[in-house]
Amino acid sequence: MNHARRLAAALIVAAVPLGAQGVDTVSLIVNGDVPKPLTLTAADLTSMPRTTVTVTADGRDQKYEGVLVGEILKRAGAPLGRDLTGDAVATYVVASAKDGYQVVFSLAELDPAFTPNDIIVADTVDGKPLFDYQGPFRIVAPHDKRGARSIRMLQKIDVVRLRK
Amino acid sequence: MGARARALLLCLLAGATVGTMAAGRPPDFDWQLPPGFPAPHVPADNPMTPEKARLGRYLFYDTRLSTNGTYSCASCHEQAKAFTDGRAQAVGATGELHPRGSMSLVNIAYASALTWANPGLSRLEDQALVPMFGEQPVELGLTRSGGPWLERLRSVAEYKDLFPKAFPAAVDPFTVDDVARAIASFERTIIAGRSPYDRYHYDRIEDAISPAARRGEQLFFSRPMSCFRCHNGFTFSGAVTFEGREAGAVELHNTGLYNLAGALSYPPSNAGLYEITRQPQDVGKFKAPTLRNVAITGPYMHDGSIATLEQVLDHYAAGGRTIADGPYSGVGHDNPNKSPVVRGFAMSTADKTDLLAFLTALTDDTLLHDQRFSNPWER
Repeated sequence: MNHARRLAAALIVAAVPLGAQGVDTVSLIVNGDVPKPLTLTAADLTSMPRTTVTVTADGRDQKYEGVLVGEILKRAGAPLGRDLTGDAVATYVVASAKDGYQVVFSLAELDPAFTPNDIIVADTVDGKPLFDYQGPFRIVAPHDKRGARSIRMLQKIDVVRLRK
Repeated sequence: MGARARALLLCLLAGATVGTMAAGRPPDFDWQLPPGFPAPHVPADNPMTPEKARLGRYLFYDTRLSTNGTYSCASCHEQAKAFTDGRAQAVGATGELHPRGSMSLVNIAYASALTWANPGLSRLEDQALVPMFGEQPVELGLTRSGGPWLERLRSVAEYKDLFPKAFPAAVDPFTVDDVARAIASFERTIIAGRSPYDRYHYDRIEDAISPAARRGEQLFFSRPMSCFRCHNGFTFSGAVTFEGREAGAVELHNTGLYNLAGALSYPPSNAGLYEITRQPQDVGKFKAPTLRNVAITGPYMHDGSIATLEQVLDHYAAGGRTIADGPYSGVGHDNPNKSPVVRGFAMSTADKTDLLAFLTALTDDTLLHDQRFSNPWER
C-alpha cells in the first residue's frame, strides 16, 4: 500500500467528529520509514506483550498498561537492538494526536535495548479504558519530568530516518 | 517496572511537573478527602487540628470581625455560591467597592498563590489579614492592633471555650495571629470534589455526566481550545501545592480582556501583576481561577466584567474582547501582553453547548449544603 493511500486513511479517521468513534473502530497507524507499515486495532494491542508503568498525577499513583512503543516499531521493521547503530541512530519518531498535537522521540529513546525508558502506547489506566479525552490510545513516557510528550488521543506514529 | 521507574514517579497531566517529595509526614487531620484528592500542605507553624478549624469556622461567619458589625468573611464568600458572592466586584463593610470579584475558597488549600494577582501571597494565614486590615479598599475594616474588636471576642461565650481549645499552649490565645491561624485552618477544610465530573472521572461511573459533557471534556483538553493549558489538574486552576509536593511556579495570564490606549493597557485600578512588579510586561496578568463550580460563580473574570459563562467562551473564541466605545474601548485581541495560548478558535453552537455541559458538570452540589462548612451561629 502506498504512502499516499495510508495518509488518506489517517485523514479520514482524523475527520470523524470527536467522540463519535468506538474503540473497536479506531486504529493506530505506524508509518514512515519502516519496511512494514502497520494499522493496529485495539484488539491488536491487546494481543501484544503488555507492559505496565506507574506514574503519579496530583499525588496519586496511576497504572497505565499497554505495549512498548519499541515493540510496535520492531513489528514495523524499524532498526532496533543491534541494528540501531550508525546512520540508523539518526532516526526519530513523530507521534500525532487526533487534534493535531505532535511530539517527537528519538528512536533510541524508544528502544528498550538502548534506553530503559519504558515508553508505552497505553490503552488502559488503572485497569479501565482511557477516558474519551485521553484515548483510546496515548503514549506514556513515565520518566519524562513533564507530561507534554505523553500525548493523548494518539492516532499515528511516523518514523523518520535522517540518513538512509 | 524497573528500579528506575519505581524510584521516579512522574506527573502526567499536561502542564504538571514533578514535585519534590518532602519527608513523608502522614496527615493526622481527618480531611475527608474526595477520591483523587491529595492531602493539603499545611504550614509547620500552624498544624491542623479539629479544634482550630472549628474556631476558624465560627470566626469566618462572625460579623464581629468587621468595623461596624455587619460583615464577616462569609459576606463575600457564601457557601451557597461556592464561597463567592455573586457580585461583579466585592463590596466591603463600609460599602466601598473592591476593584475585583470575590474568588472562590473551594479547594483553596491547594493553591500555590492566593488572590487574583499576587504570586508572593501563598499562606492563608497571611491572606486572611488582607481583608481584615486592608485600607485600599476597606473590606472588614478592622484595626491591625486588635483593640475593641478583639476584646469583644473575649466576652463571647462560645469563644471562651473555643479559643483555649484551639490554642492550648497559648497564655493568651486571643491574638490577631491566632485569629488568622484559625480562619486559615477552617479555609483549608473547604475541600470539595463530588461533582458529576468527579463521579465520572474518579468513580468511573460512565453515565455520571452526559454525552455532551464528555464531548465538552474532549474539547476542553484538545486543540484548538486547549482550556487545560491554564485550568489544569484536579483543581482546574493554576499551580498547586499539597503534602509531598512543593508549590509549583505560579503563572499569571493576560487574556486580552482589555487593550486601552496609553501606557497601561488595562484599567489602572486593576492592572494585575503589574501592581506588584511595576513591569510593563505584567500589565493585565491575573491568576486562572478554579473552574470547579464555575457554573454558579459568575459574574466572571477578575473584575466581573463578563456576566455569563457563555460570554466567557465567546471571549476566548475571539481571542480577546473588543470594547467598541467608552473609557475602556480597545481590541483586547491585540493586547501586547496577551498570553500566546489565547489565540482564538472556531466554536460551533454544538461545541459551545458541549463545553457548557462539561463546565456545568464541575458543580458540586453537596458542597453547597455541607454542614462542615455552614454557618455555626445559625444552629
